[in-house]
Amino acid sequence: MDVSELRKNAKLQMDGHPYVVTDFQFVKPGKGQGLYKCRLRNMITGATIDRTWRSGERLEAANVESRRMQYLFVDQNGFTFMDNESYEQVAISPELVGDDRYFLLDQLEVDVLFYNNRPVGVTLPSHIVVKISECEPGVKGDSANNPTKMATLETGLKLQVPLFVKEGERVKIDTRTGEYVERVNT
Amino acid sequence: MLGGLAWDRRVALWDAAMAAARDTLRTAGLREVSTPTRIAAPAIEPYIEPIAAPPRFLATSPELAMKRLLCRGSGPIFQLAHVFRGGESGARHSEEFHLLEWYRHGEDLRVIEADVEAVVAAVFAAAGAGARAPDRWRRVGFFEVFAETSGVVLRGDEDDRELARVTLAAPDLHAFVFQGREPGPLAASDPEGRALAAWTSVFSAWSDMCFDRWLAAQPGGVHIGEFPAALAALSQCERVGGRALAHRVESHVGGVELANGYRELRDPLEQRRRFTVVNGLRVACERPALPLDEGFLADLADPGLPACTGVALGLDRLIMLASGAAHLSDVTLALGPARAPARG
Repeated sequence: MDVSELRKNAKLQMDGHPYVVTDFQFVKPGKGQGLYKCRLRNMITGATIDRTWRSGERLEAANVESRRMQYLFVDQNGFTFMDNESYEQVAISPELVGDDRYFLLDQLEVDVLFYNNRPVGVTLPSHIVVKISECEPGVKGDSANNPTKMATLETGLKLQVPLFVKEGERVKIDTRTGEYVERVNT
Repeated sequence: MLGGLAWDRRVALWDAAMAAARDTLRTAGLREVSTPTRIAAPAIEPYIEPIAAPPRFLATSPELAMKRLLCRGSGPIFQLAHVFRGGESGARHSEEFHLLEWYRHGEDLRVIEADVEAVVAAVFAAAGAGARAPDRWRRVGFFEVFAETSGVVLRGDEDDRELARVTLAAPDLHAFVFQGREPGPLAASDPEGRALAAWTSVFSAWSDMCFDRWLAAQPGGVHIGEFPAALAALSQCERVGGRALAHRVESHVGGVELANGYRELRDPLEQRRRFTVVNGLRVACERPALPLDEGFLADLADPGLPACTGVALGLDRLIMLASGAAHLSDVTLALGPARAPARG
């Protein structure tokens, strides 16, 4: 691809890794050569780098696709997902799944990222609803200074929740920040 | 500024700004002209892409058409022109924008620098947005600022190899332009094309890595003058002391490039040579060679271009600055495509 095709969310390949453009700026002295200043995120490691390309340069588009799949289980092969249409199953290693493991509920639908036809990561829904498996009892009268308490989710994630949340209740979590959003009444 | 200015405010802003710019130049004795937007041949630049409107092009600037009028005795003229440059889009770039371009008899670039200052002041005042117009202007030499900000001392007419050598004093700049990249334009076959490619790339990299930071620290407006001859574009060159310099000036406000002015080149042979070198570089970069404006070149030979200076100022950017906005889309009068119907 030509650098002039660079856009936010463009996916390209450098040094054997797929990158997505997260920030993009075009600068050019009137009579000069255009510069494409990009911030890129490594789609496998999540690491962020800055790169500037000049007009006329060529880049390699990354062969990435994402497929909607359902989380099944974890075992010695890693985290296993299934395509609900083809019933194809893939396993992704714990290293690649990283902290996303704390949001992988049974049967959760996620987007699995394939790079050169190999699964390399998952994109979670922005919010999930999870059961609180453990938390301290709320302490009345302390809400002004310490309005939150520690809780543990059924997936093992520890986080701060408001005092009124009780064990066994279901709460909505923002998977991008790992933070409590609201209590879900069901 | 989320979403930019309200539309009624934008209309008032453009109305006041265009009137102020026109008043300033008319009062200075210039007459307004309007030349065709669809033209047979643009001024040929290495990195300005005309948008085709077969069998012609949309104007990238009104420069050659206005110079032909000067050749025919128009006297001092100005134009507020719609111009088009393919592939340029960003916070401060748009594929279509407005150039306020004007020409005066005489050879003194200080006169058009004063014009630029007057237009800037008038548009800031007309905008009435409380954004502070530059209260002072500073004039600096290209060679001095380049040396101060990068440590590289230039002569102005180095070839690509010499330029690669002298820029070693600025390792990041040197590496960006000369190392680990596809050779691309630097592999242009003729030496002049290679030199132009190297200079243009060094200029862009320096602007981004050094000059922008320097500019941001300058209060008020900055005219940067006496360019290297290698970056003369359509200006006259002269050897002064040990330097090869071009009578070209760029004007900046608030770190934003606003205007480019020249003591205009009048020699038809030199003009043809420069267009040809640029076309050679374009071909080396796998971009199409552009047709030469033979009518313009013929007019340079006879009746000839009177001694003149000219400058082009980006009006959209000036209005952006004068309204305190940071993005062209905050002030433009261009409405986007139809919005999706509101739900619920």
